Amino acid sequence: MGGISIDKLTKTYGNLVALDKVSLRVDAGEVVGLIGPNGAGKSTLMKIVVGILRPTNGTVTVSGHDVVKEPEAAKELIGYLPENPSLYTALTVSEFLKFVGKIRGVGDGELDVKISESLNTFTLVDKADSLVGSLSKGMKQKVALIAATLHDPEVLILDEPLTALDPKTQVFVNRWIISQGKIGRTVLLSTHNLEIVQDYASRIVIIDKGTVVATGGLETLRKLADAKGDARLDEVFLKLTEEI
Amino acid sequence: MDGGRTRLAGWPNIAVLMRYWLKGRITRAALLWLVFGEGFAILFIAFGSQTFLAFSSKFGVTGGFSNFALSLLLAFLLIGLLQSGFSGSGLPITSADVDYVFTSPVRPRDIFVAKVLITSLATILFSFPPMMFLYIRLAVFYGAPVAAAVPAGLATLLFLVLGLVLSADVTLSLSSSLGPRLKVLRNVLIFSVAVISILPVILLIPGTPPALDVITQILPSGLTADISISLVNGSQWTAGLILDAILLIAWFAAALALGFRMSRGHFYEVLQVVAGPGDSGAMSGGRVAPLLETSGKSVWEIVRRKEVVVMRRTKERRGLLISSIFLSAFMVIYSLAGSFQSSPTSFLFILFLIGSFGSGSAGGWLEKERLWIMKTTSIDLRKYVREVYRARITPLLLILTPVTAAVGVPLVLGRLGQSGPLLGVVLALPSALEVAAIMMGGGIYFASRYGQSATDDILTTQAQQLTDVKRFLYQTIVNLALVSPVMGLVLLAAQPDPVVPVPLFVYGAILLLASLGYTYMVLKRLLDGAGDWIMRREDL
Repeated sequence: MGGISIDKLTKTYGNLVALDKVSLRVDAGEVVGLIGPNGAGKSTLMKIVVGILRPTNGTVTVSGHDVVKEPEAAKELIGYLPENPSLYTALTVSEFLKFVGKIRGVGDGELDVKISESLNTFTLVDKADSLVGSLSKGMKQKVALIAATLHDPEVLILDEPLTALDPKTQVFVNRWIISQGKIGRTVLLSTHNLEIVQDYASRIVIIDKGTVVATGGLETLRKLADAKGDARLDEVFLKLTEEI
Repeated sequence: MDGGRTRLAGWPNIAVLMRYWLKGRITRAALLWLVFGEGFAILFIAFGSQTFLAFSSKFGVTGGFSNFALSLLLAFLLIGLLQSGFSGSGLPITSADVDYVFTSPVRPRDIFVAKVLITSLATILFSFPPMMFLYIRLAVFYGAPVAAAVPAGLATLLFLVLGLVLSADVTLSLSSSLGPRLKVLRNVLIFSVAVISILPVILLIPGTPPALDVITQILPSGLTADISISLVNGSQWTAGLILDAILLIAWFAAALALGFRMSRGHFYEVLQVVAGPGDSGAMSGGRVAPLLETSGKSVWEIVRRKEVVVMRRTKERRGLLISSIFLSAFMVIYSLAGSFQSSPTSFLFILFLIGSFGSGSAGGWLEKERLWIMKTTSIDLRKYVREVYRARITPLLLILTPVTAAVGVPLVLGRLGQSGPLLGVVLALPSALEVAAIMMGGGIYFASRYGQSATDDILTTQAQQLTDVKRFLYQTIVNLALVSPVMGLVLLAAQPDPVVPVPLFVYGAILLLASLGYTYMVLKRLLDGAGDWIMRREDL
């Protein structure tokens, strides 16, 4: 299983510096939580890793493949869930997953098994022939998560996977993310849900105004923030991002 | 508890809504659109009026000089409006309207009236200057007072608004939730609008019964033409003209009443939410029959199939089919009327119209595409665009080929023995399809370069509107430039003497190969360019 290596990554839009010399390493099989205020640069960072945006400077490698120089090799290893996944609303769930699986290069037999298993896991079997456009937000999120893993990626990039989900679906998705770490997938997870990061991420990266403010386990972050030994992550986060 | 708030109803409500929508519409981009649109419309009118004047002189079907020609023009306009109705276009609304207006205690009927009025106002703003241009030109031509153009223009505007209302009626009538009683009404309506729109065109065929002419004169297009042309011809308001005006208003009232009747309880179906950035749109319906089978198929077969399924389920195919039926009807009627035989130039012009038929739908492709999926896979985007194009051009060509044949075969038969004109006509037939292919390729290229994707989170709505203006202008100009060599080769073929001294068959083959080679080269450049732009653009 592969890891992600980000070195002095910079992204600018004209005069706006979205990311400023960000360096970060996510080891193989690690679940890393990326947290930061709105507009901190989390989504920009993730979009560069998956190949949607091009870096202005710096390098990103996935399992040793540079995402700019060897985009195809890198993309084959990545599964991506965007913050607001827009899906083909005129396709059925099954059609959509088959389409994504095929363009991801999954073989026919394997694809059918994978879709069937995933629909079971995500309790979407009875929605297989429903149009994606007729599904609820939570169901669409589940479909997008299945699509992200059809090709058995080594690395999962999940941008705000819990946004606007009902509590039941949040619990389900939380458990699913944890299970991905347990089977050895590298997970880079961006979220505003600090509880899941505190409880399940092996490492936390705090990003603010395009730079990495702090990185490490909760204990390390407490020390960096000069916080009490039992301080919760939200307190630490606020201290480090100077919002109190 | 209402906290002392007053609940508005009726016209005050309608006025508030119209003001709110107007404020949202009058942007820099909207004004630019208006100016460019008016400019194009005036140019079109200048060209079209010349043709119609000449046309009506030739076919003096009715007593008035260009009365018949205007009736025909209005029938064309009505058909255009009705096509959008059949395509389910409805009245456009934004998702903000859904969130904030539809959830307010405003009566649904007030929203409907306000929406019809605001759409009509936009039509008036857009149509009045070109209409006035046309009528002033005609008034000057006939030596009538220029002021006569004003009531003539107003009558025509009433006709256009009537067309909009009828279009909304058609969309409403096609909704699936109609009860059995309304379904009968729906069938009567669809039959009526088909008759209303197509009857004036049928008169082009020589030997049509005189009774049809009389019926045409009491249809909205005939009444409007009679009022407008009589006025710019210098006539006074006679009893006959007043009766025409009353009948036209009655038609309008009937269409409006029909819309209100059908809209009762479910008028929201006539409103179409315009999807905003990131809005994937909601679709009704539960389970559907699967259409995308992937086993044993290549990736590119799946890509093409996916495109076909999306076109089918988003009613794009139905719109294409309805439009092609209208187009075919025109072409056959024109052919039977002998107008192509009498004027090769009009034949070329019509072929160009056939060719440009599919360019519009290509622009909408990007909005239905989900490029973030493709961009995060290792798929070749140039190839992807080519396959999407292939999936979209195939049904278009399948529809246009019989239309082109219907136009061309009688012409070819009529020109046997005339080597120059015959070669021109023969080459014009595949050229019409080539023009269609290039125009669609151009549409896809410019959509890829300037279009708005479903995940666009960088451009603001206004910036996107300005980009759309730029796209429209570039696309129009570049597409015209790109197809001109194809049309030029047709004109070259129609010359009495070949440019190269070789047998006619060889000469024709050379021109055809040159035309096909050029089309292939242009398409390759356009589609590769589209793929490159998709890869390069970071906002998709």
